[in-house]
Amino acid sequence: MTPDTALSDRELMVSRLIGGPRDVVFEAFTDVRHLSRWWGPEGFTTTTRTFEFSEGGVWEFTMHGQDGTDYPNWIQWVEIRAPELIVLRHGEGPDDPEQFSSTFFFQERTDGTRVILRSEFKTKELCDRAAEEYGAIEGGNQTLDSLGTYVTARWE
Amino acid sequence: MIRDMARARTTADAFNAIAEPHRREILALLKGRERVVSDIADAMGMNQPAVSKHLKVLREVGLVYVHPDGKQRRYGLDARGLEPVHGWTGGFEEYWSESLERLDTYVKKRPREEER
Repeated sequence: MTPDTALSDRELMVSRLIGGPRDVVFEAFTDVRHLSRWWGPEGFTTTTRTFEFSEGGVWEFTMHGQDGTDYPNWIQWVEIRAPELIVLRHGEGPDDPEQFSSTFFFQERTDGTRVILRSEFKTKELCDRAAEEYGAIEGGNQTLDSLGTYVTARWE
Repeated sequence: MIRDMARARTTADAFNAIAEPHRREILALLKGRERVVSDIADAMGMNQPAVSKHLKVLREVGLVYVHPDGKQRRYGLDARGLEPVHGWTGGFEEYWSESLERLDTYVKKRPREEER
């Protein structure tokens, strides 16, 4: 996969220009002491149980939401090509059937580094759900899940 | 993992308000036009006091506004009240936009001695 090929209906992509040289940006992905400073939306914190940045290595961590909700995370690095590309598998655990694959591309720019993330899900349904409620845990609060979808669909 | 990412505690009542099916039906009826209570009651096959109670809840959380029009009170949809709901349903793009925003801040602020 390249960052430029067309997205399938099982893929999502997001990209951002980061104001720093590529090796520094790449390094922010390679160590928990960096990752824990920026991974996750505003207000989230992480607690790491296992971390080994190598192909086949695993990062096991819990994300803590502002309201106290904990979200289990499991990441395995599939391919590491410093400083240009990282491919990983992401799910709630090693046996999570809804694991998805993410590729980070790091491109040098005159004004910084463009980071492009493409994630590929197993089915279109999982992909659509991630677009709406990324990584949401099933069974937690179905009512509110369907409500969120309902409201978004109606007012968009 | 992320479902509650931007759910603001202070405005969480909007969630309670729309958890009730009749209230969602009222919001759908108000989309695009103002209506008076009797109009809503007719459309839903409910009595007016019941509709009024629901409207009161929806007004309290800012999902519905009231517009006095002579002797009538017309109700309309206030989309601003839905902002916490949209935030709460944060999907992939919002998650990573926020993360990469934080990454940008982090990379820019990183002390020099940490660079190798």
